[in-house]
Amino acid sequence: MSPAKILLFCILLSLLYTANAQDQNLYNYQDLSHVYYQKQKDSLKKAWVCPSAFSDRDGQHKYKEIYDSRTEFLLSAITHDDYVHDREVYPYIAGIVRQIANANRGLIPADPLLLLDRNPSVNAYALGDNVLAVNLGLVIFSGSREELALAIAHEMSHNILHHPENAMRERAAWLSSDEYKQSLNAVLSSRYDRLTRLQKILEGFTFSRSRHQRFHESEADSLAIILLKNCNITFNAKYFLHLDSADEEYHQHLHQPLRNYFTTYQLPFDDSWATRHSHGLSTRNYNFSDTTTLEDSLKTHPDCPERYARTKDRSAAHPQLTPIPQSVKDRTNKMLIWNLYTSGTLTPCLYRIFLEKDKGSKDPWYDFMISNIFYGLYYADRNLNRFNAIGIVQKEYISKDYYSLQTLFEQMPRESLRQYCEGFGAGAFWSSLPSPEHGLKSLLYTLALDPDDSERARSKAAHAFATDNAGSMYCEFSDNFEKK
Amino acid sequence: MKNTVYALFLILFTTTVHAQTKVFKEVSEDISSSLEPIIQDGKLVGYLFFTTLEKSSADSFNYRLSIMDENLNDIGTVNFRQEHLDLKEVSFEQDVMCLAYIKSNFAGKEFKNGKEFKRETSKARTSLFAQFVDLNGKIVGTSTIPMDIKPESDYVYTSNYRTKLYGNGRLKHPLQLKNIPGKGFACFYGDDSKNNLLVYNTAGKMTWKNQVREDATDFAMLTSGTEIDLLVKRTDPMKEGGFEILGYNTKDSTTYPKFVLKDKKGNSLKVLAFENDPATGKPYVSGMIIDPRNGNRFVTGNNLRHGPYDGVFSINLNGHAKKDIQASFSYWSDGSQTFVDNHGFFQEPQLYANVERSFKDFSGNTWFAACGVKRRFRWGGLAWGTILSPLILPPFLYLGGGLHRYAFKDVLLIKQDGAGHMSLATTVPEGAGQYQFCAYPLYTVDPRSYYTVSNPDTRSDYLIINSEKNIEIYNVSQNKMARSVPRKDGNSVINVLPAKEGYVMVYEFNRKERTTRLSIEAL
Repeated sequence: MSPAKILLFCILLSLLYTANAQDQNLYNYQDLSHVYYQKQKDSLKKAWVCPSAFSDRDGQHKYKEIYDSRTEFLLSAITHDDYVHDREVYPYIAGIVRQIANANRGLIPADPLLLLDRNPSVNAYALGDNVLAVNLGLVIFSGSREELALAIAHEMSHNILHHPENAMRERAAWLSSDEYKQSLNAVLSSRYDRLTRLQKILEGFTFSRSRHQRFHESEADSLAIILLKNCNITFNAKYFLHLDSADEEYHQHLHQPLRNYFTTYQLPFDDSWATRHSHGLSTRNYNFSDTTTLEDSLKTHPDCPERYARTKDRSAAHPQLTPIPQSVKDRTNKMLIWNLYTSGTLTPCLYRIFLEKDKGSKDPWYDFMISNIFYGLYYADRNLNRFNAIGIVQKEYISKDYYSLQTLFEQMPRESLRQYCEGFGAGAFWSSLPSPEHGLKSLLYTLALDPDDSERARSKAAHAFATDNAGSMYCEFSDNFEKK
Repeated sequence: MKNTVYALFLILFTTTVHAQTKVFKEVSEDISSSLEPIIQDGKLVGYLFFTTLEKSSADSFNYRLSIMDENLNDIGTVNFRQEHLDLKEVSFEQDVMCLAYIKSNFAGKEFKNGKEFKRETSKARTSLFAQFVDLNGKIVGTSTIPMDIKPESDYVYTSNYRTKLYGNGRLKHPLQLKNIPGKGFACFYGDDSKNNLLVYNTAGKMTWKNQVREDATDFAMLTSGTEIDLLVKRTDPMKEGGFEILGYNTKDSTTYPKFVLKDKKGNSLKVLAFENDPATGKPYVSGMIIDPRNGNRFVTGNNLRHGPYDGVFSINLNGHAKKDIQASFSYWSDGSQTFVDNHGFFQEPQLYANVERSFKDFSGNTWFAACGVKRRFRWGGLAWGTILSPLILPPFLYLGGGLHRYAFKDVLLIKQDGAGHMSLATTVPEGAGQYQFCAYPLYTVDPRSYYTVSNPDTRSDYLIINSEKNIEIYNVSQNKMARSVPRKDGNSVINVLPAKEGYVMVYEFNRKERTTRLSIEAL
């Protein structure tokens, strides 16, 4: 073989390797919003100049305040890496957005700016000015491409109908109105029940807004169905009913007893860890009138059954459902788990992994994440922060299994936690993991188990990781410890 | 923490930018909150945020109770209207919370001037207001008992450098509230004319009342089973002595004979702990045996040198018959101990012990935590005093402060086992503090405070030593340091406070970012 051919072969081989490595990565560090959207951030800052909408100075001033707070919200979210632009999930959602936009050019002349929000809550939101964000939680939750498309079309409808812009104007108009000022002055002049009066003013405004908002929601639902029809995506009103169970993620039960998820790694498990010993109020049967649910009049969205009833006539007779590709689901779930981990909420992170294990996943990345979680918990314990890393939730909001898991995290003795870290560190699954994962393991070892727990040692280890694994998505984690 | 009170503040403050700041400022100025722990059997089971929301009429206010579990998660709120209330204690029994307030129509009330205050004093009313709230958020009962408190007034400086005159009043003996397991709640207070001991059931009905006629300077109440014990501190020739225990049985209204705290030689005892034994659940007292000759000289470092105490004691009050009272007196004043001389000087660490805290562990041992006091002779002072002796004033300046100086050093843990044998279990190393003149009172220079945390599951006891630089968490059962938490870490100031059973609350304030972190951590 000639040297030129050998060289060509080597180049091809290295390209193949790079492609494979990229496939294993969920995304790169550069895909995080503070890097990826840096240019858009600057242009948004320049482009989003508050238009003149009020003739009076006060009204315009309020409007500018509200308008600028929206810009600040978006820019801050970009800076804090609330969004990611990965190479599989984002294009998949962008494909849906494009399909809807292309088929409705009359209403959507330009493609919207789509943002993929890393938030686990089942939600999407329109920011106005053709900006749209879809949460990872919605992608996971959606049962089909069509269901996801409905949520996206709904938010696009808000943008088409200028709901966000109108809401800002309405708010400014209310806050600068004589009626509002007079009612505030009435509070000042009253001697008694001042807070109650003030709350009534604010609630009155909220109620009025909610009523409008609910009307807007119905409008957006109707337009979304038209948008979907125009691009041949079938609509089924049952999607609204499915939405009703959006907040039940952690109500799901595990398929196996909790101990099995650990003994499979040959780790000792003491059932008493997962049994609450506290005599505190959290263990009692309290039943205060529920203050967490909103008064019906204050809800911004109509109830899901109501939305279903209103739109069921427009459902396709024989809806064809396109499943969301498994690889998209898998990646979304992993991105979500990683995001929960970097934000330091370890119980939901591990619970989601166990739910994946229940589905039969053998992906070693999940074993790697379980290991990270225990290292993270030990590190939090070392820094007297285990409580916040667990994020204890009251029993009524979660399943018994979730409750047991958070109790285990809370009550597991420090020595056993260390034993778990060491056990996971020696796990067989490491052999099938690539180098950035190994690098992170080494960093976590320094953070959690290294006798030298000085800031300098942590920074040094983080720097070493970032240098050896430049561009890895895990650099987001090491950034927290690297002193720059 | 999804606290509704915070949510309220959030509504107020986030909307401030959009509205007339003055309204929000004035309304928020009327809101005040206090956080009280909810206690059952001496253990924290939750927290209660008591918020005064607004004035609702000339003499009443709207209040909100926000109840949180032991993990600071909101579990419910209760709104109500009442006269001016000052929440003192919260206790919990059989799924009912008892909140003891002082209700007054003049305490906390703003008066225009002294004349108006004097005019109003004839109408002044104060009462004990007990409120009973169940875990459905229902106020199941209330009780109001008039109190006899002399109206007083206080000038309070406001933010704009003006003074405001507020009504005030003080109880002679502060209000104490404890649960009685399986029965209800015991409440004790002393006003200007009487000392009242009351028992309520969980429905809020007063079931027993007793007027305590002892003339005392202090009272401490303890409930154990159906019994209520009152530790009474009387005026005594030995200033730190004069303790007695009064016992009552709420089951059959029996009043037990008074138990006077003295050792067999008739020496007075200084009480450091009056609690329930974690192993038996029965009351015990422990503390120091006061030396009859030097016992009234206990204030300064120099006083310690003369031996104000003869040893330590613990008395288990397992019942009221003579056989049920197990007393252990361990003396060092008789020279019987090898590790401490008869003046209370501990040989090995070369320190005197300023004993400040006592507690019992799960194994029946009684522990005494002391701040080690190191003595140093002032050779320099003596030399300069001698050299300058021909002059009149300078020698006084050099020697007036005494020939010794004292500094606080390691923490000493003295152990008295069940059989009454005393030993120096350990010294917890602490850096020496600054040397002080021997005439300085110890309490003004002692930088440390102590409290204990128990974990009944592991039957472990921890002593938390709050020092100037660090918070040391010492595992008494394993005789080792569990953790050392620096008070200052970079920009953060850290404090460790008691929390639910077996846990501590870590409070961290970042001065640079002006953020607060709360964390409830296992020991």
